[in-house]
Amino acid sequence: MVKILHLENPEIGKRFEAVRSSLTGWDQAWLDQLRAEAMTRFETTGIPGPKVEEWKYTNLGFLANENFAISNKARQQTEIKTLFDRAHMENIDGPVVVFVNGHIYPALSSYPDGHGISFAVFSENCQAFHPSLANIEYSSALNDLNRAMVTDGYSLEIAPDVVLAKPIQVIHIVTSATDMKLLPVRSQIIAGKKSKARIIETFIGAEGERYWSHMVSEVTLAAKAELSLVQFQLQGKQAIHMTELHTKVAEKANFSHISLQLGSEISRTELLNSFNGEFANVDLRGAYLGRIKQSHDIFTRINHDLPNCNSNQLYRGVLDEGGKSAFQGKVVVARDAQKTNADQSNKNLLLSRKAEANAKPELLIYADDVKCSHGATVGELDSNQLFYLRSRGLDEAAAKGLLVEAFVSEVFDDLDDEILRDKFKEKAAGWLAQELPS
Amino acid sequence: MLEIKNLHVTVGGKEILKGLNLTINDGEVHAIMGPNGAGKSTLSYAICGKDGYEITEGSVTYKGKDFLDMNPDERAGEGLFLGFQYPVEIPGVSNMNFLRTALNSQRCYRGDKDMAAVDFLKLIRAKAKELDMDPEMLKRPVNVGFSGGEKKRNEMVQMAVLDPNLAVLDETDSGLDIDALKIVAEGINRLRASDKAILMITHYQRLLDYVVPDYVHILADGRIVKTGDKSLALALEEKGYVGLGITEAA
Repeated sequence: MVKILHLENPEIGKRFEAVRSSLTGWDQAWLDQLRAEAMTRFETTGIPGPKVEEWKYTNLGFLANENFAISNKARQQTEIKTLFDRAHMENIDGPVVVFVNGHIYPALSSYPDGHGISFAVFSENCQAFHPSLANIEYSSALNDLNRAMVTDGYSLEIAPDVVLAKPIQVIHIVTSATDMKLLPVRSQIIAGKKSKARIIETFIGAEGERYWSHMVSEVTLAAKAELSLVQFQLQGKQAIHMTELHTKVAEKANFSHISLQLGSEISRTELLNSFNGEFANVDLRGAYLGRIKQSHDIFTRINHDLPNCNSNQLYRGVLDEGGKSAFQGKVVVARDAQKTNADQSNKNLLLSRKAEANAKPELLIYADDVKCSHGATVGELDSNQLFYLRSRGLDEAAAKGLLVEAFVSEVFDDLDDEILRDKFKEKAAGWLAQELPS
Repeated sequence: MLEIKNLHVTVGGKEILKGLNLTINDGEVHAIMGPNGAGKSTLSYAICGKDGYEITEGSVTYKGKDFLDMNPDERAGEGLFLGFQYPVEIPGVSNMNFLRTALNSQRCYRGDKDMAAVDFLKLIRAKAKELDMDPEMLKRPVNVGFSGGEKKRNEMVQMAVLDPNLAVLDETDSGLDIDALKIVAEGINRLRASDKAILMITHYQRLLDYVVPDYVHILADGRIVKTGDKSLALALEEKGYVGLGITEAA
């Protein structure tokens, strides 16, 4: 059975053995052992094939057929600077952490510091990542592959009661000439009791490059902590981009995640949340825009094991000719999780008959006193709205652009930061301007 | 200004307009009345170029230019405005943003520069005030949650801001209470000028008490069957279509 559902690529294991002694922290026995164990688990589990329900919409066939090299440190300074400038929000005056091809790039970074902030980079301090690497609670094939091959990453711990005045920007850059490189990066974020922070992460890469960017993040919020994680995915058009985010949210804490998927050929965003305290809130939202050969897959799982928690999911997709998407949103409300509020909304707009949107809401509710809602739609632009706009003088492209912008704006209209709101708008509008017929 | 000759329009395979002739000169206000199903709304959509309204014969010429060759947005750029019978709701697009984009699109079509944001704000505030619209409504999404009267008032504000040469108003008066009707009528009257023209499509004579037309036409079964001055509307109000010898759409 396992054989049918999973794919294999023995080359990956061989590759690991070949590079094992040059991986970050190779000389630390504990790390080398954790890597080897992870690789063994990966090889045992195998690569999820298209018949594995959770991977139905993202084909990992490339993993079975292609060989990966671990990326090198890049030295193309001009290119790095150009990509950096496209991603960096200079009007947000805060710390910046830059990774290039999966390795920290100190020249453009200014690490977060100050009272109550512990920040570490994997390649400079592996030990700080021991908890997340040793914890195999979230073990999965790709997580293990990432664990075995991880090149770099960051760890951020915010002490109780500490409020970060400025958001932290994390920018992941991939330069040209990466040549099917694997970029496995990890992060761990621990938000202390009553702490408050925002992290803005941008993924950007050179056009025309085939690379696989894979990021695993583990986020823990202590009681009453507030953490906002914003992600802009602007990878090159041939890239494979995957993020796997695990969150644990304690009593009365608030976690929010907002993302924009614009780039890459294949993108997969996994958001897996569990509550470990009551009266906690999780808000996940995002927009994904896809066209020619692009595929975006949003996979969420929210476990309500405890009573009185709220979760809200809001996703909007726009697919033009040749674009494909999937939203798989699972909410599990355990029998004891009374007074749970769980909302989920996924709407998709198809701009072409040759576009595809899949919506798969899954609600498993075992408690009887809960409020749960879900709504999923796939539709086209409204011809009456289009005519109304055109009768007022907007040409077809402008009218469509305005309607599409309005459609996705629901995702970021409530953002409390105007700079971020404008960034979302600017990026979404840029995509529309490129794509819509004139 | 507008010359319609022998216009035949088919909608969904059915011929609705069957050889309609109408000439509107600069400075004139025309009213078209007619029983249900006569083709009144079809006429307004055909003038504006809505998809699905197929012109099988005839011509529509605006200031000497062939209208039928133009997209709806090009016609708007040329100075046409359609007041909708049922204004469309557009969630997520603020009235203000919508109007600014519309105005600048038309200016761009005419080869003018965008209006400066400050000037636009002044203009729209002044027009909203003239038409007694709550400025808060300018920030709200286009027509979303507006009452019937508010939607029609919003059409008038749009018309005032866009300042068209030719306004085609499709039952702009329907569903209005008397106060709203007076405001709409005032909006129409403000547009009256020697170089502009207005075509009102209406069911009731009531609007014509406030906007006195130069010509009244009766449209029945896809053609204009009677033309007169405002006394024709009064006669119609008194006697009905049948009383004037006009049968319902055949």
